[in-house]
Amino acid sequence: MEDKNPLSPHIQIYNWHISSLISISHRITGIVNITIITLICFWVALLFLGNTNYELIQKFFETFFGKFIIIGTIWSFSFQILSEIRHLFWDLGLGFELKTSNITGLLVIFGSFVLTILIFTLGGNLVL
Amino acid sequence: MVQINLPKNSKVEKGEYYRDKTGSKNIRKVNIYRWDPSSGKNPRIDTYEVDMDNCPSKVLDLLNKIKNEIDSSIAYRRSCAHGVCGSCAMNMDGKNGLACTKPHAEIKGDINIYPLPHLKVQKDLIGDLNTLYKQYQSIEPWLKNSKKDDNKENLQSIEDRSKLDGLYECIMCACCSTACPSYWWNGDKYLGPAVLLQAYRWIIDSRDEERKERLKKVADELKLYRCHTIMNCTNACPKGLNPAKAIAEIKKMLATSI
Repeated sequence: MEDKNPLSPHIQIYNWHISSLISISHRITGIVNITIITLICFWVALLFLGNTNYELIQKFFETFFGKFIIIGTIWSFSFQILSEIRHLFWDLGLGFELKTSNITGLLVIFGSFVLTILIFTLGGNLVL
Repeated sequence: MVQINLPKNSKVEKGEYYRDKTGSKNIRKVNIYRWDPSSGKNPRIDTYEVDMDNCPSKVLDLLNKIKNEIDSSIAYRRSCAHGVCGSCAMNMDGKNGLACTKPHAEIKGDINIYPLPHLKVQKDLIGDLNTLYKQYQSIEPWLKNSKKDDNKENLQSIEDRSKLDGLYECIMCACCSTACPSYWWNGDKYLGPAVLLQAYRWIIDSRDEERKERLKKVADELKLYRCHTIMNCTNACPKGLNPAKAIAEIKKMLATSI
């Protein structure tokens, strides 16, 4: 009896909202960030092992794919930080009204791109 | 468990096409999810051409028109037709809502009507809400007060009463819970926005004497904290309530109470 009844369609038919889109992106960037932090640790460990490794990695980062990885990483972290700030306000019980949450949602999306551009263009100066 | 794909017996197939017989020039296509328990077949999408010149404004009117004039076999729940009873909750144009308050003019293109998402379908647009009702029962949705003096009114200050605004209006239509991806994946354990909003309604009531017990009962990794503030619930609520905020308030109370 139970198995006979079909399950009504869910994610296949449900519209995406700004809030749900950000929620899933928040989770995905979270996983990506953890992976990237692990990779950065390996990268640093490799640097200790000598010059050739450094040059190899340097060359990789100069390729198109390398650049893509760098920009992707910056965006992923930017997005996660802004979205997390939004979550902190939610934890205080603030910003739940539909209009407010839509505006803060858009701010997170646009802000993540602005932050990415800023960090990519200016971030190097800060380090050096 | 997250299972994105539908089970084999739930895959939706193409159904029948009902051509318009009135000769009207103002035609809209309505796609409706159909499943007949006696057929033994998979669910299907039937398409109806509907004469919009002679159809009142809401999606429920549209369904009534189809049932009365085109295909009487279609099954759906409805009662008050004024957004009070919550019977006609369904998924229209990819969003949950009440068919009786949703104007079909708001929908662009073909009108797609499905039952509430991720429920066991009983027939056509009727989903099985028994799990949700059991969960509702589990939060004991009634006033717990030891005062025995029945001849006196149980007074509440205006301020305390106003805390129930935005909560008591809930009609338990299940639009919010069935819009929630967390409830889709963990519906057997996670209480879902509708029931949690109701739980909060009793937690925050100044006349209720079991606030602590209620909070303790709901403070559970699965029952409560599967809410990740996806906000689909608030987006879906046809009464304009905010279950996401109610859940956040419960979390806040738990975080600040000792």
